[in-house]
Amino acid sequence: MKKTDYDKLIQETFPEAVIKTEYKHENMLYAEIYSRSIRDLALFLNKEKGCPLIFMAACDKRKETGKFSVFYVFADRLRHILIVLKIHAETEYLSVSKDIPAASLYEREIKDMFGLVPTGHPDGRRFVFHGNWPGGNFPLRKDFDRKHKPEFMKRPLYFQKVIGGGTYEIPVGPVHAGIIEPGHFRFSVAGEPIINLEAQLYFVHKGIEKLCEGMDFERAFYVSERISGDETFSNSLAYCQAIEKLASVTVPERGSYTRVIFAELERLICHFGDLSGICTDVAYGFAWSHFNLLRIWSYQLADALCGVRFLRSVNVPGGVRKDYMAGKKEIMNEFLDKIQKELEDIMKIVGRNNQFNDRIEHTGILKHHTAEDLNAVGPGGRASGVACDVRKAFPYEKYSGLNWNEIVKSDGDVAARMEVKAGECFESISIMRQAADAMSEGDVRVDIDSLPPDSWEIGMTESSRGENIHFVMTDSEGKIDRYKVRTPSFCNWPALCQAVNGNIVPDFPLINKSFNLSYAGNDL
Amino acid sequence: MIYIILQLIIIIGLAPLMNGIIRKIKAISQKRKGASVFQMYYDISKLMRKDMVVSDTASWIYTAAPYVVFGSTVAAALLVPVCATEGWLNSAFMGGDALVFLYTLALGRFFLMLAGLDTGSTFGGMGSSREGLISSLLEPSMLIGLFTLGLASGSLSISRMMAESTAKAVPVLNPAYIVIFIVMIIVLLAETCRIPVDDPATHLELTMVHEAMILEYSGRQLALMELAASVKQLIIMTLIVNMFFPITFALPAGAAGVALAILLYAARVMLLSVLIGIVEVCTVKLRFFSVPNLAAIAFILALFGFVNYFVLGR
Repeated sequence: MKKTDYDKLIQETFPEAVIKTEYKHENMLYAEIYSRSIRDLALFLNKEKGCPLIFMAACDKRKETGKFSVFYVFADRLRHILIVLKIHAETEYLSVSKDIPAASLYEREIKDMFGLVPTGHPDGRRFVFHGNWPGGNFPLRKDFDRKHKPEFMKRPLYFQKVIGGGTYEIPVGPVHAGIIEPGHFRFSVAGEPIINLEAQLYFVHKGIEKLCEGMDFERAFYVSERISGDETFSNSLAYCQAIEKLASVTVPERGSYTRVIFAELERLICHFGDLSGICTDVAYGFAWSHFNLLRIWSYQLADALCGVRFLRSVNVPGGVRKDYMAGKKEIMNEFLDKIQKELEDIMKIVGRNNQFNDRIEHTGILKHHTAEDLNAVGPGGRASGVACDVRKAFPYEKYSGLNWNEIVKSDGDVAARMEVKAGECFESISIMRQAADAMSEGDVRVDIDSLPPDSWEIGMTESSRGENIHFVMTDSEGKIDRYKVRTPSFCNWPALCQAVNGNIVPDFPLINKSFNLSYAGNDL
Repeated sequence: MIYIILQLIIIIGLAPLMNGIIRKIKAISQKRKGASVFQMYYDISKLMRKDMVVSDTASWIYTAAPYVVFGSTVAAALLVPVCATEGWLNSAFMGGDALVFLYTLALGRFFLMLAGLDTGSTFGGMGSSREGLISSLLEPSMLIGLFTLGLASGSLSISRMMAESTAKAVPVLNPAYIVIFIVMIIVLLAETCRIPVDDPATHLELTMVHEAMILEYSGRQLALMELAASVKQLIIMTLIVNMFFPITFALPAGAAGVALAILLYAARVMLLSVLIGIVEVCTVKLRFFSVPNLAAIAFILALFGFVNYFVLGR
């Protein structure tokens, strides 16, 4: 099947369902459908065509059309095509969660934020809001004032109960012993083995999506950079891509290669942090400190290239702010040589440590079908055999022209995730070298004056944690009307909860660190 | 009398230094400078001056536990002479036997576990249950280990065992002593909550054992708990150096001899701390359910040593 056949296929299989279809780009099919048919169509795409549901977003369009619109994005990663379905809904719409588990959290989020009820959803509990938020307040509706502070309510949180002899619950957090972000974990255990884990997040909900409504695209860019501290570059890159697609501009070649270099540098920094975290959690001090050393070197490289270790303000809609790579190739290659050699040495030492390998092997196994059902992304998904790298599936910037491998393992345990991350570090180093070589002289940015009114676009990047999706919709003045961010952490939190089941409580921190998900990036 | 005072001063005074040395070794392996080896003294003196925060739900057990733990540990310290010199061994207080020693320590552990449960916090109970599992698994190994040494010296008194070791010249050449030495090293690592059994430096409350039990303590009570833990560590180290690496040459008589013995003692326990530090660097924390395997190894070795005594004799 060719990618262009999808619209015919959908129209022929569901002639009653489709209002209209169009190819927004070569690799994005957009179909407006009747809301009564969404279940059939979603099941067809997901079960028969094997396209995972990767994104859902609702928009309050009651002023314009009198209804809410709900977007569903399915990805055919093999044929490199996104299928975007749109339905209209007034107060409720059909839930697809029973058959497509990946939809569950999106639907609960939309219910909390918009008050749109997914009928037939198996889980009626709140998701974004805790017991203290009064009902009837839906912050992402346009008539909700951003400054409005509803009264504080006191209602208990509801968790799944595990009943039986010798089982009990361990509440952990939201405040932890280490300096980490807040999140509440409810373990149901029988002694040490974990029967069920539920994570209660959204303690650092900042209202980013609401904040961006009505903003200029230049200003919202700075918000996108600050969504999650260690994913600054990939978040701003996804946002910039959406803006550039809206404005129909192409980033100059040199700017695009520069973006590749910084995106990979950010991946290096994060992966080294994760690797060292895995070692800390099993008290492997030597490896911890050496991975940290690599992380610091990567930060120093970032500092040498752009003067900002956290890569803020490097991107700009339309390219990169200035020609950061001018005359920096030698310095970069020097750093990369040093990092690569040290990384090879450490991986050799770590690989020989049997005690360490005993700890990480068969710990926290995420099964392949669970990963697929929940659309686990990034290293977490790839370690369970899901080839989900956006850089391969939906190549952006200059990735398609570079020579590198997507690393996929099948074991799904902590060891596999560690191998994927370590392997990706080597690939990143190689990509950075190739990008620096492939660069030719030229501009690094184009200017964008304004955005077209009433349109929308999707920007996708592969952050260090995985598939990162930013959805930008403009209003009638070309300002931002809806900015929906779905970071990889949103998909992987439920996957983590599944991977933990059956393990013992003292292994949870290790499994958690092998995913290393962001709270800020999830809570928005 | 003078020996009792000396014993207390040496054990309590030196104990925090051992932690400092172990931490220093680990810092060096991590390319860090690390804190001063005297850091724990500063920590304890700081904690002594700090206020305490006590949970509303805490009962008298919570308040009593630090004193019981510290008191029982110091009492156990009095049963293990730091220097195996004639005068020291023969002074009145050192006659206590291995069973008294073990169960004085167990009394402290019992109260520590109760204190972990007392406040009803999430992690205290977890720490207590884990400590209960680990210590009950290791107790038989330590018991049989000490019984074997007792058989070899014809007495269960720790000072007699030390005298016998000293008389043997090079006890480590005896097969029974070699295996018991390994047993004691495993017991040392497990009892003092070191890697591979527990990680004393961790901030991950879900993986803690010892730290989880004392998580609720603060101020003076925490200082006592910390000091008790380091004293316990030094006692077991003292037992190891004096049993397996005794001073076998004749020391000069009088005060000079005692001073030299103390110096040699300090040097040996510091060396052992360095060794523990290196073990900590080289190993990673075991999966919690693998700890019983470690305990099984210790027990088998102890039994082997025990049988060895009957086969080979003294």
